[in-house]
Amino acid sequence: MSLVLQTVADGLVLGGIYALAAVGFSLIFGVMHVINLSHGVLVLIGAYLALVLSNSLGVDPLLVLPLVMIVLFGMGYCYQRFLIQRTISGPPLASMLLTFGIALMLQNAMIWVFSPDMKNITPSYAFDSFKIAGLTFDAVRVSALAASLVLLSCLALLLKFSHLGRLIRATAQQTLAAQLCGVNVRHVYALTFAVSAAFAGAAGIVIGVILPFSPADESLWTLNAFVVVVLGGVGSPAGALLGGLLLGVVNTLTAQYVGPSFPNVTMFLMLVLLLLVRPHGLLGNAFSASR
Amino acid sequence: MKRSPLSIALLAAICIAVLAAGPFLLPPFYVRVGQLMLYSAGLGLAWSILGGFAGYASFGHAAFIGVGAFTAGLVENSAAGLGPLWLLPLGLIAGGGACAVLSAVVAYPILRLRGTFFAIAMLGVSHVCAELTNNVDFFQGSLGLNFPPIAPASADPADFFYWLYLAAGLVVLFIAWWIRHSRFGAGLLSIREDEDTARMLGVPTERYKRLAFVTSAVLTGLLGVIYAHSLGYITTDSVYRDDTNLSLIVYSLLGGMGTLFGPVIGAFLLVFVTQVILARLLDFHLFATGLLLVLLVLAAPGGVVGVVRSLRRRRDKLAGAE
Repeated sequence: MSLVLQTVADGLVLGGIYALAAVGFSLIFGVMHVINLSHGVLVLIGAYLALVLSNSLGVDPLLVLPLVMIVLFGMGYCYQRFLIQRTISGPPLASMLLTFGIALMLQNAMIWVFSPDMKNITPSYAFDSFKIAGLTFDAVRVSALAASLVLLSCLALLLKFSHLGRLIRATAQQTLAAQLCGVNVRHVYALTFAVSAAFAGAAGIVIGVILPFSPADESLWTLNAFVVVVLGGVGSPAGALLGGLLLGVVNTLTAQYVGPSFPNVTMFLMLVLLLLVRPHGLLGNAFSASR
Repeated sequence: MKRSPLSIALLAAICIAVLAAGPFLLPPFYVRVGQLMLYSAGLGLAWSILGGFAGYASFGHAAFIGVGAFTAGLVENSAAGLGPLWLLPLGLIAGGGACAVLSAVVAYPILRLRGTFFAIAMLGVSHVCAELTNNVDFFQGSLGLNFPPIAPASADPADFFYWLYLAAGLVVLFIAWWIRHSRFGAGLLSIREDEDTARMLGVPTERYKRLAFVTSAVLTGLLGVIYAHSLGYITTDSVYRDDTNLSLIVYSLLGGMGTLFGPVIGAFLLVFVTQVILARLLDFHLFATGLLLVLLVLAAPGGVVGVVRSLRRRRDKLAGAE
């Protein structure tokens, strides 16, 4: 019994991190219907930036989070404004292939700069753990989960209450109407992408703290993000959280009870099943008509 | 611009003769490159029946290469007593049959999805097939499968497979041409343009989509069987490849999405660029492929055929103005 509970608890912790890694992907998909296949690369750039910064400044990796988010915010804005914007009016495949091409280029660049080896960010409390009600929790994992929950709530509040959040939601609901009301749609798109990239970078730090990473992982994080978004529903932090937790629990349960090499099989079977039963994801659509 | 059927037939015959003479004229390395070009062109065409004509871009056609190859391998190994002449037909039937069954079953749920959802769900199918092949001992995916040699003793295996790929490519080209000019093909194009309107106007969209999916899958599987034979030994990783999944889209995109010769031109060009020009730059390979994709999407979204067509249209307009 305690093994089941421990597995579920591990899954929930992992799921919180999946959710953070997916929320930016979800936002872009919901607002501009772009499948950002370079999302995993943005996550890894966050992880590598945190590695470099926390080593050179000698501080805890979670403390450089704002800095990394600011850098990726700027990168994301330029990326959308100068590259992806050109493909938005074209067929959906165009933006998908563009982002895939960028992902390949950046992956190769990361191999040149950081080598293809596995890297790890190790904070001082890496090996601490504590027990609650008979279940063991690693200090790193719990602090990572806490960071991701805080960030997800921040994003939800931003979308719900801030001026930028209203602009983003309005553009997603009715692009033309928003434009008629004086919204600079291109600017809003670029800002949305910037927010998404910033959250991808934050997710990268959290991931870097608990798991080893290498440039080849980018496709894994893109795929995870896609699955989480399809499971939970497009465009909302709550959907991403639900999808992430579900994916985390299913992954750990499969690895524990079916076999360590089967999580991907169950993940995709679940994905296809869900697409058939509830094509809009468990929480439906937050603020935009689906295609 | 209409040409007479006779001149088209003559042109086609000359092209086929030039291609068939390849092994006699080319050094061995280029025979290999030629093999890969013909194989890729065949795959691109098979993909295009669904992705180009019907607009259902699949991101997971490597699933059918893998299923075809592994089924053929397992069947041929259990029938090892037969002569080499019988092994390839047997493998083709088994591999094609397995792909037909798999695609017909998968088609029901997966063709209800559209656009990017369909593309990614197919990627999922490909990954699931690959992991099952790798992890279930019966398929020997992680161990690897040996294929009996099938090339006749009188011919160099490289030349033999070159001609085999050429023949297979021509068959696929013929099928694609026939579909493109049939009522079925017109139905597929109408699905690509507007599926809901097509259904409203009485096009049996579900049946057409399923048929196109199965045709595309079986042809891909047959090419996979030949590919496995030309490798001689396969593992999961050598047939279920994500770069194949991607390349199939890129061929059509590079040549011209939805056109008959687009995937062929695209495959020839891309294989030449990656195998001959970039062969010495292994460190830059990913980067160069990515850059090519980006430039392609931004600069020539209609592909080679699209560029040629717009040039021709401009010329015709100039001629009309005079």
